[in-house]
This record gives sequence, structure tokens and C-alpha cells, in this order.
Amino acid sequence: MSEQKETEEKVTRRGYMKYVGGIVVVAVVAAAGYGIYQATLPPPTKPSPTGPVSGATVSERAINGVKQLVDAGVVPKGATVKMLHVAGSKNNFEPFLADWEAKTGTKVELVTVGSEPDVYTKAMAEATAKTGEYDTVTVFSTWMGDVVEAGLAKDLDAYYARYNPEYGPQYPDNTPILPLADYTTMYKGKRYAVDLDADVFTLTYRKDLIENPDYAKEFKSKFGYDLKVPDTWEETKDVCQFFTELDLKAPDGEKVYGGYFYADPGWAAFTTWFCIFVSKGGIVFSPNDMKAMVNTQEGIDATQIMTDLVPYMHPDTLSMSWASLYARYCEGKAVLTMAWPSLIKWAQDPSTSKIVGKSGSALAPGAKVTVGGKEVLLKAAANVVNWVSIISNYSKYPEVAYAFWQWVTSPEIGAQSVSRVGIMDIFREVWFKPPYKETFEKAYTPEFLAVFKDCIAHSFPDLMIKGSSEYLDKLTKNVSAAYTKTKTPKQAMDDTAKEWDAITDRLGRDVQLAAWKSFIPLYPKDVQDVWKAKGYIS
Amino acid sequence: MSITDRLAQWMGKTESFKKLSTLPLSLVLNFVLIVPFAIMIYLSFTKWEPLAGYDWWRAPIAGIPRFIEAFADARLAWALIRTAIFVAVVLPLEFLLGLGMALLLLGDFRGKKAFTSIILYPMMMPWVVVGLGFYLMFQYFGPVNLLILRPVFGEGGMIDWFTDPVLAFAVIILADVWQWTPLMFLIIYAGLVAVPNRLVEAAEVLGASPSRILRTVRLPLIKPLVVIALIIRGLEAFKVFDIVYIMTGGGPGGNLTEVISLYVYKLAIVYNNTSYACAVSLIIMVAIALITRLAIRPLEVKVE
Repeated sequence: MSEQKETEEKVTRRGYMKYVGGIVVVAVVAAAGYGIYQATLPPPTKPSPTGPVSGATVSERAINGVKQLVDAGVVPKGATVKMLHVAGSKNNFEPFLADWEAKTGTKVELVTVGSEPDVYTKAMAEATAKTGEYDTVTVFSTWMGDVVEAGLAKDLDAYYARYNPEYGPQYPDNTPILPLADYTTMYKGKRYAVDLDADVFTLTYRKDLIENPDYAKEFKSKFGYDLKVPDTWEETKDVCQFFTELDLKAPDGEKVYGGYFYADPGWAAFTTWFCIFVSKGGIVFSPNDMKAMVNTQEGIDATQIMTDLVPYMHPDTLSMSWASLYARYCEGKAVLTMAWPSLIKWAQDPSTSKIVGKSGSALAPGAKVTVGGKEVLLKAAANVVNWVSIISNYSKYPEVAYAFWQWVTSPEIGAQSVSRVGIMDIFREVWFKPPYKETFEKAYTPEFLAVFKDCIAHSFPDLMIKGSSEYLDKLTKNVSAAYTKTKTPKQAMDDTAKEWDAITDRLGRDVQLAAWKSFIPLYPKDVQDVWKAKGYIS
Repeated sequence: MSITDRLAQWMGKTESFKKLSTLPLSLVLNFVLIVPFAIMIYLSFTKWEPLAGYDWWRAPIAGIPRFIEAFADARLAWALIRTAIFVAVVLPLEFLLGLGMALLLLGDFRGKKAFTSIILYPMMMPWVVVGLGFYLMFQYFGPVNLLILRPVFGEGGMIDWFTDPVLAFAVIILADVWQWTPLMFLIIYAGLVAVPNRLVEAAEVLGASPSRILRTVRLPLIKPLVVIALIIRGLEAFKVFDIVYIMTGGGPGGNLTEVISLYVYKLAIVYNNTSYACAVSLIIMVAIALITRLAIRPLEVKVE
């Protein structure tokens, strides 16, 4: 009898599937119902304050604006804004969070991730999931096309109008450096980000070694010209070779190498290549049909130069992450290097450097190119992966998140934040002048500040069109394949061009072409002149 | 009859009780596995990526071009070949090493418990930690070169492990073997310990050598366990991601150590090519299901 009962009450496969299916249907219907209910809810009864926020300074307006929101009951006291950012910027922001809370009654919580590509993946995942997990994200300007097109970045035009962060030529003192601040924070004519950085590449070198008279004599006898900060990439190779073969020892007893230029397959390899390519007079896409032009002679030459430099660079160059350049240079294991401005802050800080006071700064090396039958020295410095902050479209408190950025990047607070060791770099005009100048000279050295202005004048934007992350990943992988000699420079560039064209076709050639064309006028005039001379642009 | 009476009656039935007991699992399965899986199947037939500018449920149906594209994708084919090589190398290595260690530890000796625990430690470590550890150990100025190769062979004997695709792949294999041999050891050891001693003793009395006892008594008895261990480990090895992502990111030479999980990750996350990533995932999932089905066949042999 009991056996019979067991058989009768057995859960059959069909019955169980019906039961499971029932749960799914009920849950889906419930979720849809909830969604419809949410959509039909009336807007919040407390209207958000509008109109310009009062305040004499950029930071004051940010504080006043949030106070207004709290007083109006639009934002509850103690509301928390979550910021997704990379570990390297923690020291720039964390010390200021308590002050922000004391002044506004709202909190900022840092969600720190270890590597830059992780920020991208989390940001894009949030763009799809739309959870509102992060109110704001610090992103590479390179990703602007992606984060805007994916719907994550909020249009900030209304906040800029309401809070007046003093961007633009009408604020010659306070504005972030132009045109960098405009093209890194705007997309298709709208403002989507707040500027945090000015990431123009600068050549950093061991002044004590380059200016050493004994080495100068030896160098001249070997290469037939004076040892100096290199003007061209060919000279760079000579200097790197010379110091590598000298077999000098770093403070820890390990070998000193001539150079350390980004060549790692992680993501940074494209940066150095880009500088060489543009200084050779290369243009990445045709302005006529968006055809990839990285496999032109300039692209092959740029790849060849880096391949030739490999034997004279620190071995970490090919396998370690970008931060290794900072570490090895500051340990005194490389003579020439090219990186973001923050490198000099690391090199000047006794807690992170063994070569304090021994660094010099210069404009990136260039190339001799012919324009109108005349040979000119073309130098170009990439403004690569400039940090900017976006506000999420799914944020609960987007205005608070925006106001925080305006406050922490303001001329007054930003001077303290950016001058700290961290990956944010000097990006406001006013910081090059008294009373801030002294703070920044201490952080970066007076020589650097003078040189950096020149670098900015020769700077060009990195790729900021839709799909940049994919374009640059393919470029990085191919150039690093050439550097490890698994591809020839021509093969690497041909493969890149083929892969880039496939991406362009997938994303829409016309859309991409329109975006690319808007960046061409942002290249320095001398670069554009070379492009004209070569017939690349009209 | 009141609602509470009906509920009590329903709860009183065995079938209802079983359904209620499995409710939490059903919910988890539905919303962590089945619903996302259904979305994945749907997306693989569409043309959608986050940069499309519209939500995924509005994506136009594209049919099967994504699948056709996958069969013509050389990078996918190479990633699959590399993954197959990886599985084909690590699986026998881990099995043989695990078996060897299990046989060594069969007998009793002083400190056996401590030794067994130490052997199991690598398995308890997160993949990411193992990947990072090996990545740092095999750097040019890492401990392997500085503490082993340089003292023995001099400066010229130092190896740039991660710039050579074969060496880089070898380091990845080494890391996996180091971490997962303990799992094989654990399963095989558990099986060997459970083999009745009287059978081994009987074989010994009949004059069988230790190797013959292993081949004809111990291994046949633990065969189902070994097959399960190989399937579990094989499936896990096929999914290898973390250590490759951390150590080489798929490089050097562009993508010369790229395995299938890493390629799918890049398609979906770095390149935002979501629909294609879904199509590729679906093809791989079907292929793995077929292979697994074939692999578990030996377990289905009826014992007479």
C-alpha cells in the first residue's frame, strides 16, 4: 500500500518541468508588472531646484548646489554617491571625501579596481545591466564614444549651465587647458564628462647621465655626434643602445637599460607607437572613406623603430603592465622613457624614487619629414587615455555626483588633489601661475612645467570614436607581436588595417567617418601641414 | 474548506513537499542559469551590441549569419585548437602526477596528515592568485631567472618567458598542473583507500607484483572514479581563463596563447560584439555537451 502511494506521488519529469516553467512565468509576469508600475509612477513630488547656482568660485557653487538639493529634500542628507575608479587615482580623491561630507552632508564611496581595462569592462557591463550600481565612473577619454553610445554617460550640458565650472576661453585663468578639456569631455557636440587630467606624453630622462661629460665623450666617439636629449626616434635608439652597452648599475645593483618605452601587450603598447607614427606624418584613417591607413610606410616605420629599440629597453617592457615603467625608471633602471606627466611626480617623491632630482623633461622625439621639398623636424606628443569622469544615466543622485567632481577638480581643491602622487595630472591653466605654481613646481619640477606647455602645444588626441577600445586592442596586439618578432612590422600593420576595416564595417563606415573627421582639426597645425603635403588631407 | 486548510492539505502531500523543498534551487536555477541562457540563445540570433544605441530586447533578428561567421573565424579555430592542446597536456599530466602521489601516500608514515594537507593547498588558492604568482615568478627579473637560471647559467641563461609563445604557454600549463594536480590526487587517493584490502592481500598471496596489482586490481576498481575525475577536470581545463588572462592576456605575438574563454570574453566585453560572442558560446556549449556525453559512456556499461 505504501509502495503504491509512493508511486502515485512521484514527481515526474513532466510535472517538475511544468512546475519550474510555472515559476518562470509567474516571475516574468511579476517583473513586467513591476516595471510597468514603476513606469506609470508620477514624477517625484519635490521638484529639483533649477537655475544657476550662486557662489563666487567653482568649488563654492558645487557645495551650494548640493546644499540646495538637500534643503529642498530632493537628495536625503547622508545620501551616498558611488564612484568606480582605478587604484592609481585613490590618493588623488580619498583624502578629500571627509571634507566633502562635512560641507554637503552627502557621501562619496570609492569602488576601486586594480587595472584600467577592468574599469572599462565594469562600465560597459553597467551600461547593459543599468543597475545604478555606480553613480559615476572615471574613464579614459578614449572610451567616451563607447560609454556615450552605450547609454551609460549622462548628458551634462544642463549641469554645466547650472553650476558653471568655468570651462572655455572666456575664463582664461581658470579653464582647464584647451582644447584638451573640450575634446576629452565632449562627444558629438555635447558635454558628457568632467575633466580630471591632461595626459600628454613627455620624454623623461636621466639628466645626470645624459649630461655626464665622460659619457658625452664616449658617445661622440662611438656615434659621431654629441650626446644630447634625442630629437628623433633614430637618435633615441642610439642613446638607448649606448647606455645599455655601458652596463651601468642601478642603486640596487641591477643593470641600467637605455630605455623603457611602452610596448606591453596589455593595453599600453599603442601609446608609443602612436607618437612615432604621427611624428612620421602618418594618419590612422583616410578622411575620405575611413579606410585604415596604419599599414602605410609611416606605420611600418614606426613599428620597425620600436622593434629596433627592444634590445636596448628594460626586459619588463614586453611583458609587464604600464606601472612597471614607473617602478623601473624610479629605481634608476632606465635612462630614457616616455610616459604621462605623473611619472615625474613619482620620480620626485623620495618615498617612490631612488633618483630624486636626477630627471629632466623634454618634448617627445620626432622625425624628419619632407614638406614642400624642405626637410622639417616633426614632433608630436599623444594625449592618450586622458582621465575624465562621467555620470551614470542610471544614477540615483546624478547631480550630487556631478557637483562632487566640480568641487574636487576646482582650481582651489583640485590644486591639492592633483599635486598629490597619483595618476591625475595638472590640467588647469591657473595652476601654472601663482599662487598655485609653487605647489606644482614642487610636485613636478619647474623644468617639467615649462616643458609640459610645449608638449601640450604639440599634442594630438587619441582615438575617441565609437569602438576605440577594440581598435586600440587590435593595434596593441599586433604591434606587440612585431616587437616580439612573431610578426614582421609589415605583417603586423597589414593585419591591423584588415581588422580595423572589419570593425569599421561592423560599426558603420559613415558614422565612424563623420566622427573621425571631427578629430582631424584637433591635430597640431604642423602635423596637418605634413598630411596636406602628403596628400592625405586637402 | 478554508485557504489554510487547503494549504495544509497541499503541504501534506509528498509531491508538494518535494516541490516546496526544491523551490529555492528552482529559483536559483531559473534566474542564474536558465533565464540568462535563454537570453543568450536569443541574442545569438540577433545583431546586437551595447554600442548599438538600443536595448537588447529591441535588437533585430538576424538569423544564422553569426553562426556562419563563427565557422569561418580563424581566430576562433586557433583558440579552440590551443584550448584542446591545453586540455590534452594538463589532463594526463595531472592524472599521472595525482596517481603517483596517491600511490606514494597509500602507506603509513610519520607526518602523512601534514604532508597530505600541504599537497592540497594549491587547490584552495584562487586562480587569480596562482596566475599572478606564476606571472611574477617567471618575469625576466623574477625568482626563476634570478634564483635558478642566473646562478647556474649566468646572465645569458636568463629567459624572457612571456615573450615567446611556446614558453609562455608552458608556464600557463605549469601553473594549471601545479594548482589542479591535488584534485586528481584527492579523488584517486580516496578511491585507492576504499579498495578492499583483502583483494590486494589475495593478489599478493598469489604472487602478483605491485605494478600488476595496480593494473589488475586497484585501477579497475577505481575506474568510475577516475573517469569522473577526468571529466570534471577536463571540463574545468577547457574553461581555463584567469591564469591566461593574468599571465599573458592572450599574447605574446598578438593572440598566440589565447584560449577559447579568453576569446569569448574579449568578443563580449572588450569588443562589445555581444551577439557574436553568444553565437560562439552556444556552438562551444553544444560541442562540449556532445564530448561530455561520449566521455561518460564508459560509466554506463552495465555490470553483469
